[in-house]
Amino acid sequence: MLKIENLTKVYDDGTVALKDVSFTVEEGEFLIVIGLSGSGKSTLLRCINRLIDPTEGKITWNDIDITEASEGELRRIRRGIGMIFQQFNLVDRSSVMTNVLTGRCGYVNPLWSLINYFPRKDRERAHTALERVGIREKASNRADALSGGQKQRVGIARALMQDPKMLLADEPVASLDPVLAHTILGYLEKLNQEDKITVVCSLHYLDLVQRYATRVIGLREGRIIYEGSQEEIRRLTDEQFKQIYGEEAQRMSVGPEGIS
Amino acid sequence: MTDLEATLPRKRSFLQSFLSLLVPGLGQAIAGAYSRGLAILTTIATFTGLTIWTAAQRPRFPDYGLTTRAFLLLLLETAAILIFIAALHYIVRRTIAKKPTTQAAAQTVFIVLAILVIALIQQPLLDTILSEENQSMVYGLTLVFGAALTAAIWLWNVSDAGWVRRDYAPSMNALIFLGIAALIVLGSRVTQVDLPKAIREYRDTEIILQRIVWPWESAFVYEENNVVAEARIQAPCPPGATGPEVNEPREDEPWVIVTPTCGDLSERDTQGNIDFGTELDIRGGGFVPDQTVNLRWQNPIGNAFKPRGFGDAEFPASEEGTFETKLFIPDATISSTAQGDQIHTLIAIQTGEREFTGQLSNDMKLALQQMLVTIMMGMMATLVGVVLSVPLSFLSARNLMSSIKSTLQAFVGGVFGLVLGGWLGSIIAARISASYGGLEAMPLLTFALNLIFILGGALLLYRLAGTGLEWLGQRALPEIVAHLITIIGLAVVGAAIGYLLGIAFARGVFSITSTPEFVELMSPRTGAIGAAIGAIFMAYYGFRRQPFDEITTGNFIYVFVRVTLNIIRSIEPLIWAVIGIIWVGPGPFAGFIALTIHTIAALGKLYSEAIESIDPGPIEAVQSTGADRLQTIVYAVVPQILPPFIAFTIYRWDINVRLSTIIGLVGGGGIGFLLIQWIRLFQYEQAGIAVWLITITVAALDFVSAEIRGRFV
Repeated sequence: MLKIENLTKVYDDGTVALKDVSFTVEEGEFLIVIGLSGSGKSTLLRCINRLIDPTEGKITWNDIDITEASEGELRRIRRGIGMIFQQFNLVDRSSVMTNVLTGRCGYVNPLWSLINYFPRKDRERAHTALERVGIREKASNRADALSGGQKQRVGIARALMQDPKMLLADEPVASLDPVLAHTILGYLEKLNQEDKITVVCSLHYLDLVQRYATRVIGLREGRIIYEGSQEEIRRLTDEQFKQIYGEEAQRMSVGPEGIS
Repeated sequence: MTDLEATLPRKRSFLQSFLSLLVPGLGQAIAGAYSRGLAILTTIATFTGLTIWTAAQRPRFPDYGLTTRAFLLLLLETAAILIFIAALHYIVRRTIAKKPTTQAAAQTVFIVLAILVIALIQQPLLDTILSEENQSMVYGLTLVFGAALTAAIWLWNVSDAGWVRRDYAPSMNALIFLGIAALIVLGSRVTQVDLPKAIREYRDTEIILQRIVWPWESAFVYEENNVVAEARIQAPCPPGATGPEVNEPREDEPWVIVTPTCGDLSERDTQGNIDFGTELDIRGGGFVPDQTVNLRWQNPIGNAFKPRGFGDAEFPASEEGTFETKLFIPDATISSTAQGDQIHTLIAIQTGEREFTGQLSNDMKLALQQMLVTIMMGMMATLVGVVLSVPLSFLSARNLMSSIKSTLQAFVGGVFGLVLGGWLGSIIAARISASYGGLEAMPLLTFALNLIFILGGALLLYRLAGTGLEWLGQRALPEIVAHLITIIGLAVVGAAIGYLLGIAFARGVFSITSTPEFVELMSPRTGAIGAAIGAIFMAYYGFRRQPFDEITTGNFIYVFVRVTLNIIRSIEPLIWAVIGIIWVGPGPFAGFIALTIHTIAALGKLYSEAIESIDPGPIEAVQSTGADRLQTIVYAVVPQILPPFIAFTIYRWDINVRLSTIIGLVGGGGIGFLLIQWIRLFQYEQAGIAVWLITITVAALDFVSAEIRGRFV
């Protein structure tokens, strides 16, 4: 269970990104965070695995205090939390295989990295992970030779290598076209349901939110302004959505039914 | 303001123009365009100064007051002329030349007219002021045009001031054009550009240039098929001396017989009149028939010359290959300290065909060898420089360093640990090295030991003391004690830094103006003052912050390494070479040191900038998997920086080989050293070989490095 209490983040330039945010995520939930650009979604996700240090507040995950974790503890915490990014954040000049294998960094001895060594088991695991996202044949390609959708699948495979109990997805489909968006979110849903991985995901589009979320949090200017269960969000009309979300809310034109 | 407003016609402000007439740029500044006004003022002040300075350069013209007055007069007159011509131009444009084409032509005519009129009218004025025929032409014209251009800028500034508004700035093209023209006119005088001289004296260069351009004669060994015979003569002839034995005619080889073999030298007085010495009978045989025989006189120290004016020194051999002639002993100079018999040699020589042997001459071998030394010097410096600059570049990359943070408390503990660890490390290293004889016995091992123990000890204790103190402060000590420890610790650190800076201040500043005794006297005092200031400052800082506030220690390291690299880099490799020569003596090692130091600084900067410009995304991604710092660098940073690193390394290798040829000039070894020696000995052919080798190497390197870079990037 992920528990966030009174989380506040003020950047060095004085920007208040998060203000007194509290919520909990139960095991196995597919939580979607919605909100405009700049509403604090990315900061919230990055605070959870301490890519960003929160200014105030407390984050506990299965009774481990993440905010107070030392460097060594943080390493163990982070390896249990996979993360995928809007810009995929692959190392373009490295092979797909290497990119996926970096997911094991939290488990292997850091000194092995000097000779770029990963145990045989990890390599096999990488092949399995790539197979799961359907791009095993791309293993030896350079990452920058892939298309956007393939890159995000590599990103998922990399997160899978961590054996994660939780996945943070920072707008995973914002750089992809609608059809691919469903494919990628489909993978996340599968992981959520089959592997019981908790997913915390930020998204933009209402029908994607309605389709995948088991719970929704709405952020606006760093504060939580909406919390809704699966049923509540499914009943939401466009008008209500706009009220929560601001005027720029969009509905995506292609649903999973539309493409088949 | 919209674009439409900007194009609207405006009213000219006469007040601003008037102000700018008095003080250039003032009108613009009043209108709110401060930097524009300042630029105009600086420009006009600079050109005024340059023009006056140009005039004052004349050795017979030391009176600056007169120059300034003359210049002001010049300025006013030329301004008047310019205004007059501009008015004329305006009238012509309004009445006669109304079509664009004729207007353009008129403009050209008026510019030419302005130049001519200014030159013609102002030259007499200058002549009367300067009154020196020879140089007044060149200096005078420079002065006139400098003044004219300055006046033109001044007038432009007056007109410009009328139009400038807070929200509107007209084009500055005219200022730029006039400024460049003035720079060329005045600059050519300041740098003493003299085209006629360059043309006049080119011919002297030709002979040297020829040798440099085609030096290959001396690059190879030629066999000379000369027919030579020698005879020995003693001169002067002291009483009782008989001289060397007289030669006998020989059968199979050329011979020459001189009688007598002992005689007196000719003497030449200061007017060049010659008092002839003993006349020699010279007979020879065994030479090639009908071919020219040359006589050479070789003095006792081995210098040979053609004895002109002492008899026939160049004549054909007979049909039998013999000759007979007479020659006075020439006025070969003999060292006044020479002792014993002075034996000269007469050489009869017939120059034969020179034969190409294909062997490299010693000079060529030397040049090739030194070229190799030079190339290796550049490569070694690059390799060592790369190895050392890579870690430094990581330390001076802001994006990597700014993530290194620690609490104030840990920082205080860490600094003390650092010093203590370094000190303990040095003691341990000294103990160990004493056991095998120390620096004298094994210098490299000792060096390595010291490095490992001091660095290792410092880092280890930094970590231990830092985390230790932090743990104590958080878990064991009351908050007030922890805060107190932080304040005291910071004060001590501040005092230490302040003390060092204070002493450095005394050494640096007082040593310029005062005696060493004074520096010795003052440095403890400035040190104490610095320590006090540092302690108070840092204590106050510690007081204001909480002991567990985070500070970015990485940024301290970043700033420190960056500044150090920048200082090192701004000192030219030539200067480093001079330092290297003082350090280890002339030779390739000094050059290597110079190049390496500069390479470390230059590559450190280039590398760190490459690191700073990488995509932060992959770093974030790799960190989020639980990777530690090393893994993040290996998997997220290195792949991204590899291409620019390779490109910069090859670029630097290229530069280093070029520089290593230059560094030799100041004594850094290699081909440059050879080149400057040959030039100083006037051996231009050999110098030509060096120049050719350098050119070929640099061109080849250029090509190769471009190829490699093209493949990698």
